Amino acid sequence: MLRSIFLDALKNLSGNALRSGLTMLGVIIGVAAVITMIAIVEGGQVWLVNSLERMGTNLLFVWKKRLTVEERQLFAGRNTELRYDDALAIQTRFPDLVVAPILELDGQLKAGDRDYSGRITGTSPEYSQIRNFRPESGQFVSSIDIKEWNRSVVLGHTIAEVLFGSQSAIGEGVKIGDQRFTVKGIMEPKGEIYGHDYDEMVIIPISTGLRFFQGSDKIRSMIIHVPDRQRMDEISQALHQFLVQRHEGVDDIHIRNQGEFLSAVDQTLLTFRLVLGGIAVIALLVGGIGIMNIMLVTVTERTREIGLRKAIGARRQDILLQFLIESTTISVIGGAIGIFVGILAAYGIGDIVARAMPGGGDWGAVVQPTAIAIAFAFAVVVGVGFGLFPAMKASKLEPAEALRYQ
Amino acid sequence: MLIDLNHIFKIYQAGHVEVPALINITLQINKGEFVAIIGQSGSGKTTLLDIIGCLSRPTNGEYWLDGDLVNTLPDSRLTGIRNKKIGFIFQTFHLLPRKTALENVQLPLMYAGASRTVQHDIAQTLLTKVGLQDRLRHYSNQLSGGQQQRVAIARALANSPALLLADEPTGNLDSQSGKDILALFEQLHRHGQTIVMITHDPLIAQQAERRVTLADGRVVADEYMHQSLPVPG
Ligand SMILES: Nc1ncnc2c1ncn2[C@@H]1O[C@H](COP(=O)(O)OP(=O)(O)OP(=O)(O)O)[C@@H](O)[C@H]1O
Ligand SMILES: [Mg+2]
Repeated sequence: MLRSIFLDALKNLSGNALRSGLTMLGVIIGVAAVITMIAIVEGGQVWLVNSLERMGTNLLFVWKKRLTVEERQLFAGRNTELRYDDALAIQTRFPDLVVAPILELDGQLKAGDRDYSGRITGTSPEYSQIRNFRPESGQFVSSIDIKEWNRSVVLGHTIAEVLFGSQSAIGEGVKIGDQRFTVKGIMEPKGEIYGHDYDEMVIIPISTGLRFFQGSDKIRSMIIHVPDRQRMDEISQALHQFLVQRHEGVDDIHIRNQGEFLSAVDQTLLTFRLVLGGIAVIALLVGGIGIMNIMLVTVTERTREIGLRKAIGARRQDILLQFLIESTTISVIGGAIGIFVGILAAYGIGDIVARAMPGGGDWGAVVQPTAIAIAFAFAVVVGVGFGLFPAMKASKLEPAEALRYQ
Repeated sequence: MLIDLNHIFKIYQAGHVEVPALINITLQINKGEFVAIIGQSGSGKTTLLDIIGCLSRPTNGEYWLDGDLVNTLPDSRLTGIRNKKIGFIFQTFHLLPRKTALENVQLPLMYAGASRTVQHDIAQTLLTKVGLQDRLRHYSNQLSGGQQQRVAIARALANSPALLLADEPTGNLDSQSGKDILALFEQLHRHGQTIVMITHDPLIAQQAERRVTLADGRVVADEYMHQSLPVPG
């Protein structure tokens, strides 16, 4: 008899293809929407965290603050600039920090008949280490380069291509301004992170930059790596104090903690997740309401069917079993299709985003097994619940009443 | 005695209003009888037949069916009684849509726990008996009204019920189909089938073996006629 009821229920589903299809559609939409949403949010998160890691971690950024006219008058004659000396002094005073001073210049590069105008960065070997940015071939600026004011240059991936095409550039000569430089290294491709295109960098030893181009020891900024993440705030304060002291009491520097920035990002991500989580819940509800609507629309027909079945000898449990089989079948099949559609949609949208977003090349949806499980479980519960509920009500009616239901 | 109704009342609750549909009905029907129930619209015929067929319970009174006091039985027992002892035929057929004639007739057998081959064999035999041997796999909506009602009769007979109940079985049929259905009933009756049938047609009632008349929820006449339905021909 179980077997008969089972077959009968399946026949009922295939006989009412439209009704079954519409109900299934509700399940499919709900499941697919949730999986897609969550996969995209997860993908965004992974991408963000990755790009932060590529940028280097546990960093402090030191800038010179812009002084007002009054302040400048007030502090005239005092030592108020951010200087190369400051970087060296920090390194001596705080030996466990890694300090990379940064100088920025505008200049023109010439190699044979090709040229390039843009920004030239003067820095020290530490830069490569703390920015997690390494040469693909050749070498980065070394401490000997710094000591001897060597005219060596390390080119970003794009610049090397612009100036030398596919030829190896290592050891080739490049003119920067009127100085002859030798190409020492080519950097690995890294792409653009927060508006800064690492592949367009031109890097020279900072000492060389200061001596031949700048003519002073003013630098633009410093990037400082703090090995112990817990101590970033403390060290940031200590550095601030140290620099103010060196600047004869003038508070003209600005230290930004990457951690603050990271927690802002975390906050953004959380908001992102809440919003999309809300959308996912709405998607499930819409799917659920879709299922419920079909159930309500067909409730008259189904109530009469239940009345008739009871009149010819179906027990209440036979009816409930039939409806359980019907709604479970619909929910499970719909859920499975929904998973399939959801994963396809997630990767499809992931691809579109990766192409549309600058620097989003490695962006991709991340389909989480837990998301699949949650979406599927919810859809099955909703599908079976809404499928069984009208049957529970109708099967309580006397057959005479159910048969005359309208 | 197959049916023994004692002081049966049925009171419907329509909102706050109580509608007495059956008032103090006492009625006995023996095995093998062919009873016509007549009466004006709203007199309580359907209500009475529903109670006899265990499709609804009386508000008050005792109903004995084949030795069981059914008005006190739990739903689970009533289901078994409906399945095995009663065959019900409705004015509007109540076939399940999108199922074939065969599948419709198999349903009571399925709920009785018959194997699928038995279900199939009995359903086929019964459909042949009502003259639908070449319509076995037609869907309900591919059959004429008369044919649908014959499927319903085959379904009602599936578990060889002691009692066949029909609520205006010819009400939705043209006169020829109606006559055919009645001939079928007459034939069943001659083989000993107990039948209780509601009808509006005075001619049909005239020819019945016994005629019970309802008015305003009461039995106002219970007459034994002298002759049974003539065999049509
Ligand atoms: N579910 C219900 N709720 C309230 N009143 C009802 C209900 N069903 C029937 N009635 C009332 O009970 C009375 C008897 O109804 P019933 O259907 O038994 O009449 P009937 O003799 O079969 O009529 P007809 O010949 O028109 O089919 C009627 O007055 C009807 O309005
Ligand atoms: Mg009626």
